[in-house]
Amino acid sequence: MNRRLVVHLLGAILLIEALAMLPSCLIALVYGDGDVYAFLITILLLAALGLPCWHFARPLEKNLRAREGFLVVALSWVLLSAFGALPFVLSGLIPNYVDALFEAVSGFTTTGATVLTQFDHLPRGVMFWRSFTHWIGGMGVLVLTLALLPQMTGRTSHLVRAESPGPSLSKIVPKMGDTAKILYLIYGVLTLIEFAVLILAGMSPYDAAIHAMGTAGTGGFSNYGQSVGAFNSPLIDGVITFFMVLFGVNFALFYRVLTGGWRDALRSEELRWYLCLYVGSVLFVSLMILPQYGGFFTALRYGSFQIASIMSTTGYATADFNLWPQAVKALIVILMFIGSCAGSTAGGLKVVRIALLCKLGRREVRHTFQPRKVQVVRFEGKGVEEKQLTQVAVFFFVYILLVLVGMFLISLEGKFDIETNFTAALTCVSNVGPGMAHVGPVENFAAYGPFAKLVLSLLMLAGRLELFPILVLFHPAIWRRG
Amino acid sequence: MRILVVGDGKIGHTLAEHLAREAHDVVIVDRSDEVLQRSEDTLDVLCVRGNGANAATLVDAGADKADILIAATAGDETNMLCCLIAKRLGTKYTIARIRDPEYNESLTLLQREMGIDVAINPERATALEISRLLRFPFANNIESFAKGRVEMVEFRAQEKDVVVGYPLKDLSRKLHGLPLVLYAAVERDGNVIIPNGDFIIRPGDRVHVAADMLTITSYFRYLGKNSLRVKNVMLLGGGRISYYLAKMIVPMGIHVSMIELNGQKANALSESLPEVNVIHGDGTDQDLLEQEGLTQMDAFVTLCDRDEENLMTGLFAARQGVPKVIVKNNRVAYADLISAMGLDSIVSPKSITCANILRYVRARENVGGTKVERLYRLVNGKAEALEFIPKATDSYIGIPLRNLHIRPGTLVAVIVPFGNDHIEVGDSVVIIACESGISDLNEVIRK
Repeated sequence: MNRRLVVHLLGAILLIEALAMLPSCLIALVYGDGDVYAFLITILLLAALGLPCWHFARPLEKNLRAREGFLVVALSWVLLSAFGALPFVLSGLIPNYVDALFEAVSGFTTTGATVLTQFDHLPRGVMFWRSFTHWIGGMGVLVLTLALLPQMTGRTSHLVRAESPGPSLSKIVPKMGDTAKILYLIYGVLTLIEFAVLILAGMSPYDAAIHAMGTAGTGGFSNYGQSVGAFNSPLIDGVITFFMVLFGVNFALFYRVLTGGWRDALRSEELRWYLCLYVGSVLFVSLMILPQYGGFFTALRYGSFQIASIMSTTGYATADFNLWPQAVKALIVILMFIGSCAGSTAGGLKVVRIALLCKLGRREVRHTFQPRKVQVVRFEGKGVEEKQLTQVAVFFFVYILLVLVGMFLISLEGKFDIETNFTAALTCVSNVGPGMAHVGPVENFAAYGPFAKLVLSLLMLAGRLELFPILVLFHPAIWRRG
Repeated sequence: MRILVVGDGKIGHTLAEHLAREAHDVVIVDRSDEVLQRSEDTLDVLCVRGNGANAATLVDAGADKADILIAATAGDETNMLCCLIAKRLGTKYTIARIRDPEYNESLTLLQREMGIDVAINPERATALEISRLLRFPFANNIESFAKGRVEMVEFRAQEKDVVVGYPLKDLSRKLHGLPLVLYAAVERDGNVIIPNGDFIIRPGDRVHVAADMLTITSYFRYLGKNSLRVKNVMLLGGGRISYYLAKMIVPMGIHVSMIELNGQKANALSESLPEVNVIHGDGTDQDLLEQEGLTQMDAFVTLCDRDEENLMTGLFAARQGVPKVIVKNNRVAYADLISAMGLDSIVSPKSITCANILRYVRARENVGGTKVERLYRLVNGKAEALEFIPKATDSYIGIPLRNLHIRPGTLVAVIVPFGNDHIEVGDSVVIIACESGISDLNEVIRK
């Protein structure tokens, strides 16, 4: 293993995190809630550690193999969260470090599960940082690194492949650095548009920034205990619903729309599956909750918001779906598994994998009674390689396994019922945020013990990085020389 | 520039690697997922799966917006079709690899009708290179600049050579009558050194000297290296390179023996090359080589398909005392090994083709500036020699070189006509650069 290169890149990541803290630091300075020092100390610490790593471990050989690539991705996310938690502790927002770590991991992985129990008079700089972690975690920190460091050319595909959600890496232009820049540009512009629209819809600029970043990263942190429900405005609900659905779409499609191929973009099979699933679920849920809300449009307002929030794995809430009919809750759990499109900022298994698994299952059924029929699974108009189908099936298995193992481990604490523990594990692996019962949309994760919080943090990281980069850390062979 | 490479084989992959390193936007098209995966993992390029001669695939790969398309699939016909379709779709410039000798005869017509701007024939280019080496056997490598008015020749310095052991600036004082040549570059331990006056040549260095042909010849005569004239050559393998090579050197009065394993092929060769002594047999068989008079040969050229066979037979021939052994080898990693074993003349069709194509690409890059006329790669591409023809609008025209800024790591090796201390319009300028990617003389020399 090329240890120098790994240390060098990790140093660069720490420096990027220091840079990423500057806006929050500035906000803390402007509002003067007394949290500036938390940032200054953390930034100095990051610089003091990052600069020597970056400067003195300049690699002799710049060859980034799969081994180093995955290791860099996994370790940098662990480090980012470990240092990202410091402002929470130092400002006194979350005095316990394990709690703060959970909050930071939840931020970077765009989960949005929180340990905060009260939301009055919180330091606004740290709260901004909490949401800012969603924003950079959504598109990916290494993607940002690639966009900022032009000299990191060459074999960088391993880095981005590990970080970008979805079964296959889709570059949109030949150069990885340019791809990263374009992705961040689209991401930034869309976030700014949402920010502006939210202000027009009646939010204060600070609230608008928090919620725009929360939506863009499909995270779900709010600065209100009742989440988006605190505004109680149909207009704001509508705007956020629209943007949640939008950020669940593959960003490569946005690029295609921009370059004039919008017809082509609309023909995307994954997009059609995604939208059909969304619209179908919204209609079902709205009809089911109609008796609770009286009017169809009210039901549609809450239903469409909640389904968008779950499918895009954002996790904002305008209503407590814990109180909705059992069939709706069951559907919500299923949607938590599925998530959104590959190449978006959302989590979950991804619609493309679900589509492929369905087609694979149908093929197997046909195969049992017509074994000689040659059947090619097609997606986006092209035959899918058997190797990729196997990968999808294995991914699905490991995903389920992680949820089950996670549920078992957090049950060891003996605190909650199985519904709570299962949905807590699921919501963390899928990076959604709220679960059911005691971790429902109006509850939080504060009641779990430190062990459960660490397990859940690990699940969130695994879910965000498409499982394998984190699992790689537990394989002894990765640490061997060679 | 946006460059499409169709065919992800040996040449396609190497080209993509170099072009991506020179910061071009490279898209590779190939039918096999497996080879594309390798390129995607190791190179910063975009990969598109599909048939490169299919318009839909080419549109997917962005042929309508591409500046250059390089068709390097295994099939000549596919390559031509690629160029034809890409040209119609709007690609500005097309390069095709066309290797079949039959197509070469009607190449002008084909190029015009199929929209091919440049046709590259790797085998022919390699044969040309070998024929030059046979004409000047004292050279390990030889490259002509300024339409043959300047030659750059590589030789390996030996213990007994008189130029070894003195600083270069003292050479003309110490050695009376040593013709004046330019010491352009020295390869030592796999590194390229651009020597200054204090540089001392050591035994084992591979020295590149540049001058006009007459001076070069008398220089090597002074060193006692120019005693040999190649009259008898043995070629191992009867492939396309051997065919082209025989066609080129037979008229020069060189007697050629060619060994081919395949009987049918040997017959066909004998028919089309009546002056050549075609031998049907296994060229790796040492008895056969000795029987056919290997020890009497002035030169031995190994042109089998397998690099390893070429290397082993070449070593054997050198051991048997053949004065000039030329080995064909496509694997860059082997090149250092081979020269460590004492075989200095290595030709690589892959490198020659890549260098040719890279030259065209760079010439397209700055249509307005000074174009790269020739590009020659030293030490597996660690350094490059480039020839330019300056234009009247360039800023350095007419100013003495010592008053100009020259980019570090580059050497203005030769200005033709010789002896000028400044560059004029219509001159040829050869520079040696330790970096890759220079496409304009204005990048190197500034006022």
